[in-house]
Order: sequence, then C-alpha cells, then structure tokens
Amino acid sequence: MIKSYFTLTFVLIASFGLTQAHAFDPEASVVEIEITKKTYDYRMPWVSRNHQIHKNGILVGQNQILTTADGFSGQYLCRITKGGESRQYIAQIKWIDFYANIAMLDLNEPAFWQDMKPVTLAEKIPQSGDLQIYRWRSGRIEERAAEIIRLYHGTNKMSFLQHLKLTASSEITGAGWAEVVFDEAQLVGLTESASKDNRINILPAPFIASVIERNQKADNPGLGTFDFRWMNTKNPALLKSKGLNMPSRGVVVTEVGPRRLADNTLKSGDLILAIDGFEIDSEGKYLDPDYGRLSIAGLATRAHSAKDNIPMTIWRDQAEQSIAYTLPRTQFSKSLIPSEHYDAPPHYLVAGGLLFQPLNGPLMRALGENRPILLDYYSDRPPLEGREGIVLLSTVLPDDYNRGYEDISYTMIDQINGQTIHKLEDVESALAQPEAGFHHIQFMPDEGIHQIVLDSTEMPDATKRILQHYRIPAASSL
Amino acid sequence: MAADPEESVVQIINYAQGPNWVEPWRFSRVGSGLGSGFVIKGKRIMTNAHVVSWSKQLIVHRYQDPKPYRATVEFIGHDCDLAILKVEDTAFFEGIEPLQIGELPAARSSVTTYGYPAGGRQISYTRGVISRIEMQRYAHIYNRSLLTVQTDAAINPGNSGGPAIQDDKVVGVSFQGKPGLENAGFFIPPNIIKHFLKDIEDGKYHGFPDAGISLVKLTNPAFRASLDLPNNSVGARIDRILQPFPKTHELLRVNDVILEVSGQEVGSDGMILYAGNRVHCSVLFDEAQHGEPIALKLWRAGEAIERELPIYVNRADRISGNQHKDPPYLIVGGLVFTELSMNYLASLGRNWGENVSSRTYYELFFRSQQSEELARAKPVVLSKILKHPSNVDFGVPTREVVTTVNDQAIDSMADLKAALRKNTDDFHRFRFLSGTEEALHIADARAADAMLLKQYNIPTAERLELLND
Repeated sequence: MIKSYFTLTFVLIASFGLTQAHAFDPEASVVEIEITKKTYDYRMPWVSRNHQIHKNGILVGQNQILTTADGFSGQYLCRITKGGESRQYIAQIKWIDFYANIAMLDLNEPAFWQDMKPVTLAEKIPQSGDLQIYRWRSGRIEERAAEIIRLYHGTNKMSFLQHLKLTASSEITGAGWAEVVFDEAQLVGLTESASKDNRINILPAPFIASVIERNQKADNPGLGTFDFRWMNTKNPALLKSKGLNMPSRGVVVTEVGPRRLADNTLKSGDLILAIDGFEIDSEGKYLDPDYGRLSIAGLATRAHSAKDNIPMTIWRDQAEQSIAYTLPRTQFSKSLIPSEHYDAPPHYLVAGGLLFQPLNGPLMRALGENRPILLDYYSDRPPLEGREGIVLLSTVLPDDYNRGYEDISYTMIDQINGQTIHKLEDVESALAQPEAGFHHIQFMPDEGIHQIVLDSTEMPDATKRILQHYRIPAASSL
Repeated sequence: MAADPEESVVQIINYAQGPNWVEPWRFSRVGSGLGSGFVIKGKRIMTNAHVVSWSKQLIVHRYQDPKPYRATVEFIGHDCDLAILKVEDTAFFEGIEPLQIGELPAARSSVTTYGYPAGGRQISYTRGVISRIEMQRYAHIYNRSLLTVQTDAAINPGNSGGPAIQDDKVVGVSFQGKPGLENAGFFIPPNIIKHFLKDIEDGKYHGFPDAGISLVKLTNPAFRASLDLPNNSVGARIDRILQPFPKTHELLRVNDVILEVSGQEVGSDGMILYAGNRVHCSVLFDEAQHGEPIALKLWRAGEAIERELPIYVNRADRISGNQHKDPPYLIVGGLVFTELSMNYLASLGRNWGENVSSRTYYELFFRSQQSEELARAKPVVLSKILKHPSNVDFGVPTREVVTTVNDQAIDSMADLKAALRKNTDDFHRFRFLSGTEEALHIADARAADAMLLKQYNIPTAERLELLND
C-alpha cells in the first residue's frame, strides 16, 4: 500500500551515547512497565487499595523511556523489564504530563542501558496504510498489524486537551497501554485506548514530540485550550442574518469560558472566520498544510503553547475584525467542577458524622448513573459567578448527634454559618465560627432540602466518636 | 336489604386516542382499554380518570346485560384519578341501586373488590384485608401523593375504577398496583372520593389544593434547641415555601414549626394519627377545598401562634406531571415547537433521560421552584424539524429549549407566537438554552410551511390552547 506521508524521520535527541538505530529492533527498544499504585474509593475517600498495572514504554534517548501517563496516578513503585528478561529495574519518573497523557521515565542502573537502542519519533505520520504494533507478552515480543483509519483532531483520554490523534484498526486485544506503533523504523505513536470494535486510538509522534520539547524547557508554558464552545454555520440564513452574504464560512461562538480558563476577546454570537491564518469553513474545519482537513479544536495545540496570542478574524457587529485570543493554559482546577484529580488522594472532611467532599469528576463517576441529576446540571450549567468550587455533603454517618439527617446524601452546600463554601477548607474555617452554639448548614437553593442545624459544642466529641466507630483513620484529607 | 353490589358495577370500554407529543398534530392509533366503574347517586358512574382518559368513544355495560350504552365524561379529576360519567339513555340506570360511599376502612378489616379485570369477560371478585393506609404517589399524573389504602386483594388491569366494598358500602376505588410488590393492590379511599364529589357540586372540578410548603422532619435535638423548641416529638419544620403560593408566603415563614393542623398534633416526623393510622399531616390539607382555610398552630420565634391559611389549587402554569390535554404546537419554517412537559419527555422513549440535557431537565423540574423571577412559565422546546431546503442545514438539534426569538424572551407558547411578530428584518432569530443560535429567512419559512403542511397533512400550523387552562 502506498503511504501518503512525505517526510523523513528526525532524531529527537541528537547527542546520546547509545548506538543509533537504523533498523528497528523491538527487543532492544520496547520495555515492559509495571506500576504499583494506590487507588481510592471516592464514596469512602479514606479507603485506599493496592493496584498493579502493566504497560509498555519505549526508549527515545539516553535516560529517556517514553510511555503514556495513564495508570501513573497514585503510583509509588515503577519497575521495568527489558528484553523479555525476568530482572526488574526500578524506574523514576522524570516528568509526567497528565493533560497530554505522556510520561518520561529514567533509570539509573547502567546495566539496563546496555545494548538498548533508542528509536526516532516520526516528524510526520502517514495518513493511510499499514502500521505495526509491538509489546511484550510473556517474555516475547508480540507484533500485530494495524491499518490506519484516519487522522483527526480529538480529545485526549486523560483531559479535555484537544490535539492531533490517529485511529487505526487492529486485531490486537487488550491494547491501549502505550503499545508502541511503528511505521517501519520510525515511531508513529503510542496507543492510548482501544475499543471493542478493534479500533485503536493512538497518540501520534508529532504531538508527543511537541510535549517532550515543552517539558525540557525550564519555563514550560504548558499546553493551551480554546475555552469556548462553537457551532456550525451550515445554514445560510444564519450567516445572512448576521449580515454576511457568504456561504460556508466560519463558526459561531455559543459559550465563552465554560471551563473558566479564559473569557478574553471572544463573545457569544461572534462568527470566527479564521484562526492563526487558517480560514475556517462552516463545519469548523481548516485545511492543515500537513494533514488536510481537520477540526479547529486542535489549532490550540498544533503550533502553540499556553499564553500565546493567537490571531483570529471574526465577524462581529456587521464587520470583520482582527483580534488576538490569548490561549489559556489547560488546567483542571479552574473549573467549577474539576473533571480530574490526578496523583493525589481524594480530599474529604468528616465533621459530626457529616462527610464533606469537593465535587469533581472522579466523585461524579464513582456515583455512577444513579447520581442526582442536579450534579450533572451543575457540571454543565453556565459557570456560577463568584463561586470557585462546589462542596457536597456526601453522606451522613448515623449517630445520635446527627439524628434526623441520616437520609441526606450528595447534597450541595451553599453556606455554613453564613460563610459561602467554595472549597473544603472553607468548611473547616466556617465550622470554627459557630453561631450562638449552633452550626447552620445551608444547601444550594435548588436542592430538595435547604438547611440543617447541628450543636457546635458537641461536634468535636461526636466527630471523635464517629471516626472510631466507623474506623475512619483521619477526620480530614485536605 | 340492599341489592347485590355487583348489579351496580359496570364494565367500561374506552376507545382512546392520545396525542403524539413530538408531532402534536398527530394522534395515535385508536386503542381500546377496559376498566370498571360503579353507579352512585344522581345517575352517575364513578371510575378512574385514567380509565377514561383520551377517550373518543366510551361504552358501558351493565351487569350481565349485553346491551352497550354510550357514556360521556362529566367530570374528571386527573390529580385524584377519579372521574364521573353520565349515560344519556336513562334506561341504563333502571333497576340499579346506587352504591353509597362509606368511611375509611380499618386496617386488618376485610374488603371485597368488584370489577372486570383482564383474563375473562365476567365480573370478578377478590377479597383481601386492608394492609395499610398511608400517603402514596398517584401514578396517573405522577406529581403528588394522596391518601391510599393498600390491600392484599388482587387488583389487576381492568379492575381500575371498580369499587372495594365493605358492609355494602364503597370504601375505595381500585386504581393502581406497584411494580415489584406482590399481593398488593391500592385503592382510593372515601375521603378522596368525597372531596372529589364535593368539589364538583358547583359544576366545576377545581382539584386538590396545595399549601406550597416543603415540610421536613424535626428530630435533631440541636435544630430543635436552635428554635427554642422542647426536645419532644411534636412539630415538623417548614424547610421551604414553594412558588408561587402568594398567601403561603404572606402567612408562613421558613423554619416555622407546624405543631398542629386542624387541631391535630403533628409529630416531629410530620405525621399525625388519622383514624388510627400514622399518616403524613398533608392528609388534613387534602380535606380542604380550593380556597378554604386550614387552621395551623405554629411555633415561631420561641412561641406558639395560630394562623388560618387559605390554600389553593396550584397555578396552572406550575403544575408538573402528566398532562391530559392536546399539546400546543407552532410550526415556523418547518421547525415544530411545543411545550416541554413530562409527557413530551416520556414520549422520547424509556431511556429519555439519556437523550435530554441536564439543562433541559432542570428547566422542567427545578427552575420554577426557585422564584417567580427565575421561573419560565412553560418552557418551549424544538420538538421536530420537518426537513425542507430552507431548514435542512439548521444547526440546532431537536429537544433543545428555546430561550429567545427575535431577542424576545420565550417563557411560553404565547411568547413564541408574539415574538415571531417582532422581527426587525427578513429573518427570525432563535437562541437556545445551550447557547446555540440559528436563523430562518422569513419568506423562505412561509413557503416551507405552505409546502410542509400539505405534504404531511398537518391541519394547521399552530394549536395554542394552553394546557390546564
């Protein structure tokens, strides 16, 4: 099959002392990674469990073992085997980028690096044709064929970051754990996930290379995200109603700052005609010089870092205007309800048997399909002005002290003792300021119950008793 | 001695046709449903509202009489699931002794149900004991709880509307079962039946009034102490006053503690002793008719006070739950708009929750509870796009709630109609709850409607009678 890529490979790191690879030898480049980690039950956040994951990595330079970040959250032991041997080497994380789903490992035992060969990352990747997937299985290299389905701009598995992605079809089972994907001798990418219909999602090499490059900088600006939502403008009447007599151009901004990363320059109703010099069509696509027609979603990561000013041409108030969109850094913590909480135990506070937790993505997912619909509404609603985050009264551990409140669960807090609650620390400080011997807890106005009252003087003893009774090791994890 | 009750029990056949909530000009195929009823004084037949809903033709049969009689609905109370039928042919009632409505039966006493359930053509009897008496949600419109009697007598489809008899008197109207429960049937007790009959005495059914309060238990000692209430088992707390209910807002306050309703002591769990059963005190509110006052003894600011609270049927535009009037609709440029309602959502299929955004769900079930300012009287949803060259690229999916048209806020179908006259140029501009926007060229839209109405046999481009008017 003819491949439609048209560039040569390049060597990412020019000066390492290992043998340069010309032909790819998977046994000398692919490694197996074993991660031992803690996982948590967000419904009982003081409970941690032990978990082990096996995945793959590949040498991309001296002291550089590349893999995906997936599975590293909560890790405390990372061991690597090479060449199918049983000996395990303890590895360290050089850096990890959960937003981009990329991690770089290091290993300071010289014996490991003996006879190992780093590979080169493809500067550009093919858009069609066959690929090879490699991984270690029971001490032997497994090689499987894959066929490219398409290149596209999509969302990262670990975050809302949008970038170039590659999807391929393969018979390989249980993939998605950084199996290495090659086109002859060059690394095309690492697998990120796999679906039951034999589709493999691949983090492509050019994206990986750009992340590696940023992480090698002392002042890594991070990757950026377009913090606005947009819609197609295929309906000619929509453009005409805005005074633009030109079909098939631009997208309309429908919401600005949904993740509270940036609300600069753009307004709802703006028609974006061009981004970064690329003309946008009515389906939100632009013509990429390397990969053809792609979604504008990936233009935030294609050639930019956070804080860059990206030129845009927009149509507003019946006139074309040029603006600069300052690309905000991708951050979970800015959202009202952060979608992820990596590499840290869940935060909680138990007071008087009431379990308080910040509302975030892992907690929402732990609650499953039966979570209150209001939580979904708050995670999708327009940002709440002036509120940094949401704290839930997750559950009430029954005790005489909190009698009558046992049935309250997963209810959002508005105020405690007159103080607005943004985060868990606010609960702690508000409980330090009772009102005339009582704690007044007020819930969000749209909740089924509005308020409860507790005795403030009895609370410390009750907390102590409840922690012992329910075998909770600590009153809080903040 | 009274005649056998079965002679007063009738079989009802309802040939019904319900609306299509997504394409509201269309109606379903005609289906036939079987139910039961019984004759009461005044040459009336009592049955369940759900037995005769969406009726196009009602046929009633007397006991062991093959002659079909045509009946019509005289009164229908969807909230209490009761209805009164009349039969024009007075021969129907000849020789039938009307049944009398008795009193609330005691728990553990026996009752016999009469009716025409599925599985045969003849009248069927089942006998059981009264298992318990408490408030239950009435499934017909599914938005409120009223007193309900549970029995272990089998109540099956077709039994609905039939009487439960004790000592020759009606002590209940069979009306629903509960999925997952075995040997449990439910009937509507005499106090609800009598309330309904009294309500219609003036020739109009108003419905069960609502005080508009959210009453919660007050068992926590600290909460009681913070209100200077003795730490006993008396009094439940008003946690919230709902919207609109202006009289309740005027007379009651959040954190008022209800000590007594109509002279009866209210427990800290909100329950009262009602004919020997512990039942939620709202049962006493359900005894008042629309506009009648309820005597309340409240605890406020450290002392007991008394208030007479007149209570009213909730304003039509705030009643949630299943509707039983043809849905309104308006078609513009092939875009079909209708009211967002429980029926509309349920018509999207069993897993409708997966196909509707949480913002839309919030509009229907949460927003109007907050305040009059926040409430959207009746949200309007884009239910269908009848494809036409002028709208085929309309970029907003169906099931979205429309928020403005031509920059006018849309809180009802009437708003939508008015806003479509407020265009300032050749375009109608639409904004939706998700922030999306779209436009139609007005001349193209008119041409599209003319063609689409003809093509899909749509009798008219709009039907705007408000629900529950």
